[in-house]
Amino acid sequence: MIKVQNLVKSFPKRDGSFFHAVDDISFEAQDGEIVCLLGVNGAGKTTAMRVLSTVLKASSGSAEVQGWDINKSPQKVRENLGFLSGDTGLYNRLRASEFIRYFGRLYSLDEALISQRINEMADLLDMHEFLDKKIDFLSTGMKQKVSIVRSIIHDPPVMIFDEPTGGLDILTARNIVSFIRSCKERGKCVLFSTHIMREAERLADRIVMIHRGKLLAEGSLEELRDSTSEHDLDDIFIHYVNQTAMESEVLAHEF
Amino acid sequence: MNFKKVKVVFFKEFMEVMRDKRTVFTVMVLPVILYPVLIIGLNTIMMRQAGVLEEKGATVAVSDSISSASSQAIITDLSQIEHYTIIPAAENAQSLYESKDIQAIISIADSVSASGLHSFKAYIQYDAANERGQLIYSKLRQSLKSSEKRLIQEQLEIRSIDTGILSLISITELDTSSSQRRMGMLLGTFLPYIMIMMLLGGASVVAADLVAGEKERKTLETLLVAAIGRKEIVIGKYLTIITMGMLNLIINLFSVSFSLKFMLSNAGINMEGAQMPLKAIFILLAAMLPLATLFSAILLSISTFSRNMKEARSYEQPLLFISMMLGMISFLPAIEMNNLMSLIPVVNIALLFKAVMVEDYQLSHLIITIISTLVLDVAAIWGSIRLFNAEGILFRTEDDSGSLKSVKKNKRNFFSPYYGLIYFSIALVALFYLGSYMQSKELYKGLLYTQIFIILLPVVLLLRLLKQDLNSTLRLKAPKVLDTLLVIFMAIPGAILAAIIGQLINRIFPFPSQYLENLSQLFKLDIPLWQSFLVIAVAPGICEEILFRGLMPRFFERYGMRMNIIITALLFAAFHLDPFRFVPVFLLGLLLGYQTLKSGSIYLSMLSHTVNNSLAVFIMHFAKAPWMKYLGTSEELHYWLAAPAVIILSIAIYLFHKHTGGNECVES
Repeated sequence: MIKVQNLVKSFPKRDGSFFHAVDDISFEAQDGEIVCLLGVNGAGKTTAMRVLSTVLKASSGSAEVQGWDINKSPQKVRENLGFLSGDTGLYNRLRASEFIRYFGRLYSLDEALISQRINEMADLLDMHEFLDKKIDFLSTGMKQKVSIVRSIIHDPPVMIFDEPTGGLDILTARNIVSFIRSCKERGKCVLFSTHIMREAERLADRIVMIHRGKLLAEGSLEELRDSTSEHDLDDIFIHYVNQTAMESEVLAHEF
Repeated sequence: MNFKKVKVVFFKEFMEVMRDKRTVFTVMVLPVILYPVLIIGLNTIMMRQAGVLEEKGATVAVSDSISSASSQAIITDLSQIEHYTIIPAAENAQSLYESKDIQAIISIADSVSASGLHSFKAYIQYDAANERGQLIYSKLRQSLKSSEKRLIQEQLEIRSIDTGILSLISITELDTSSSQRRMGMLLGTFLPYIMIMMLLGGASVVAADLVAGEKERKTLETLLVAAIGRKEIVIGKYLTIITMGMLNLIINLFSVSFSLKFMLSNAGINMEGAQMPLKAIFILLAAMLPLATLFSAILLSISTFSRNMKEARSYEQPLLFISMMLGMISFLPAIEMNNLMSLIPVVNIALLFKAVMVEDYQLSHLIITIISTLVLDVAAIWGSIRLFNAEGILFRTEDDSGSLKSVKKNKRNFFSPYYGLIYFSIALVALFYLGSYMQSKELYKGLLYTQIFIILLPVVLLLRLLKQDLNSTLRLKAPKVLDTLLVIFMAIPGAILAAIIGQLINRIFPFPSQYLENLSQLFKLDIPLWQSFLVIAVAPGICEEILFRGLMPRFFERYGMRMNIIITALLFAAFHLDPFRFVPVFLLGLLLGYQTLKSGSIYLSMLSHTVNNSLAVFIMHFAKAPWMKYLGTSEELHYWLAAPAVIILSIAIYLFHKHTGGNECVES
């Protein structure tokens, strides 16, 4: 599971002030649940996920992945986490199997186990014909499959997907979507980010909306519909954006 | 550190690198074919060219103003030279020479000495600026010399003197150098340079690819979320770069040795019993290894800092250039290895290389070279790991070198490290040319003008131009009384310690006597004491501080106070253009930077700097006073002074640190 508490990530600006890319966000994601981080481009989704996956350090606040604190035990967090993003690059000079094996070794898996997992996943995703080809020669769809296997080679309990379908055609994107569903079926805790409302509607058990680094709203689609009396997720999202804009205006008047 | 994971990273990177055809070609294939082609090819061309020149011969005009039997004999000798045509010089000889129809003009004249000895003079007019001209001159000279010998012989025979007198001393060479060492000398002159360049070349091809390339191909993030620490990633990549650098080096070294030996024996140089200097090669590889690690660490830092490979390649250029300059030292005949030289990276390897090749090196130099390079290497790899952990750098997206456009938009954008280094470079160049010009006229006035017009005034003008507030930018803020007192207690022991450290350095690496003489001249000019104080203590105390504690730290603020102090102190030390005082001046710079940045008042470092320099003036002035013997000899201060100095300095720093807010930084 994932537990995020008052998470803040700021970047220094040139003039010495700070830009808060993630500004005091809290939410949770349970095992066997798909949670979607929804927001427009630049909302802070990617930054939040990078902090969760320990690529960036949190400025303040805390988060736990499978009970491990991201600040205190980053190594443990990484061991329990699979990460996949839409624009992940691959090592083009390696063969597909070598690429996956490399990551398996980084997770300290023994060779037999790696081979076994590669075999299982290749059966599942129909990859046998290109496992021994250099990645350079693979199609986008094949590369995406290699990335999927790479992200799950260590069978992590938590999966994080950062805009996983970004830039993919409809067929390749479908692979990813069904992969996300299968993760849930296997009882994994899944967090994925997107700016596409339909994707969130279709996949997510719960939706966490963020805007300009701040949390807008959180809940299942039903809950969000009830509290806004809007039906479409688009409308719900805009409802919340307008509401916060009004609130901040009121605040500005009061002070 | 998990070495198993380091190994995993290393083997993967190595395999990937070896699959890159471009890299394999530059690192392995090129050196193997380059030298034979280069050396043997060049050699053949040169020999053929020399043959062509011989056969071409020359047409030489001779003007004979004597027309005696002897002069005729000389001309006959000249015409014996193979392929040469000798024509009598007519009036148009000069114009023929200029139109290159003839290649030389010889004028033969004679003279009679007081004792009645009849001698000849031969003027040879030729063009020494091309190889053909040089060849012609040597041929003509050879011919004239043999004519001379024959004429002398005739004279001797007329006077019935034994002609054996012509060769009273016969010289026979007994060269004790082995052909091994002769080859070593030849190799040692240019090989170090080639090797250093090869090492750097091999390593840099790989280094740019390993981090900047991963950024470019968007694979870095995938690696960072895997279960491996950043330290392991850095070390794994670092080992890959070292391996490729050394591999390139080994292949080059053997390839060049083989093809050179082949060339020498072909050229008929006696290579009897000459072996490849195998032992030397192994010593050198051992000595080159630390340099390989140093280069690798620097290249890795560059690669980490860069956003893409193109950027990495262009940031590598200065390193390549500096190494080239330093490596060229092996071409200079007069410079020999000593303790000081073995401290300077690249130079030490180049000189050691030369010494090892002629089997004439000291173990101490080898050890100093290896250790000093390793120390730098550890610092560089530590820096790489720091960079790899600094997310602002690892995920640098915008070009923060600060374009002129962004400076126009907001004048404060000028304060970026990029412009800091540019300003520093310009100031340094101005100091070098204008400063030394001013000081060559009149030392004291020149020093004062340098301080005011090169160091102080440009800073004020620049800030005016940028419309920045002088007081706040330069930290012209009144200091607290207690801070001021403490600074005096830091300055005096600080100066003593810096002097003693200087002395220690002088013990181990003696300054050249010429240098010491120049330095003491500064203090021995016949001017009143107050003027010395003004020029040596007060002016630098104000002007240099405005530059190095006022302006310069503004450029490097983004690195935090500690790094800022270190960077500006390094620049401060470099600005003195004096390798012998680099370390003491750097330490002084650290103290001065700390005082100002910690307290927020530049007046403190001005005071400290002035006190420090005054002390030097004071000691020089009273050098002959009887009570000076308590402080030191005329040459140096007593070493025991270091003990109270350390104690007082530590207490003063401790109190100052506490009073200025502990580890908190005064300014935001």
